[in-house]
Amino acid sequence: MKLDFEFPTNGTIKDLGIQVHTTNNRGFTPEEHAIRCAEKIVSVSSEAHPAIRAQAHAFKSQVIRAVEQTLCEAVKSDRTTIYNALNEAGHPELADLIRRL
Amino acid sequence: MAISQAMCTSFKQELLTGTHNFTTSTGDAFKLALYTSSATLGASTAAYTTTNEVTGTGYTAGGGSLTNVTPTTSGTTALTDFADLTFSTATITARGALIYNDDQSDKSVIVLDFGSDKTSTAGDFTIVFPAAASGTAIIRIA
Repeated sequence: MKLDFEFPTNGTIKDLGIQVHTTNNRGFTPEEHAIRCAEKIVSVSSEAHPAIRAQAHAFKSQVIRAVEQTLCEAVKSDRTTIYNALNEAGHPELADLIRRL
Repeated sequence: MAISQAMCTSFKQELLTGTHNFTTSTGDAFKLALYTSSATLGASTAAYTTTNEVTGTGYTAGGGSLTNVTPTTSGTTALTDFADLTFSTATITARGALIYNDDQSDKSVIVLDFGSDKTSTAGDFTIVFPAAASGTAIIRIA
């Protein structure tokens, strides 16, 4: 019996579906995270029936919106936690800087 | 000097001898190390090496710890996966990576070729793994 390791030996990460995402002088935005998340949840075959494809794309858009909104709320909540931690540690100016982000 | 994408030959043998355990939490600890374009990595790479490993802000020698996804099956295909890995606030440039087993003498698993240098400057450097499905997972046996 032959076991096939489905792994391109002479290709690039593109063949594996792996991607490298980078940013300069900032982190990823909630929208960028949301898109990445949706890519993992919803995939649509290019050979799927057009109606199914359209429905899947619509669902993916909903997922992106929902995840992005949740991430934005999570970021705000975390900043509140950091604001309070800095304030309690005696750094009100730094805390205010975080609050204004 | 080159990075050639491959599932390491030694890893294939070690699968048959039960060396690696990809189970979440209770399995082995796997890590991903980044390398510059000067590195020589490929199917014959048997273990993690520090030679030509990336250096820079936000990156520590040895690389980052991966979160295993417990192996599963889909149809007749067995597969496993890792959660995406981010090097935060990093100023680094990498051409490829090596996934290795930190609990098993740093034995190598996979060499990844990024195709070109990837750079982050005071930003995030994220390796995004494909969806854990029978046709896309990073490691699968069909």
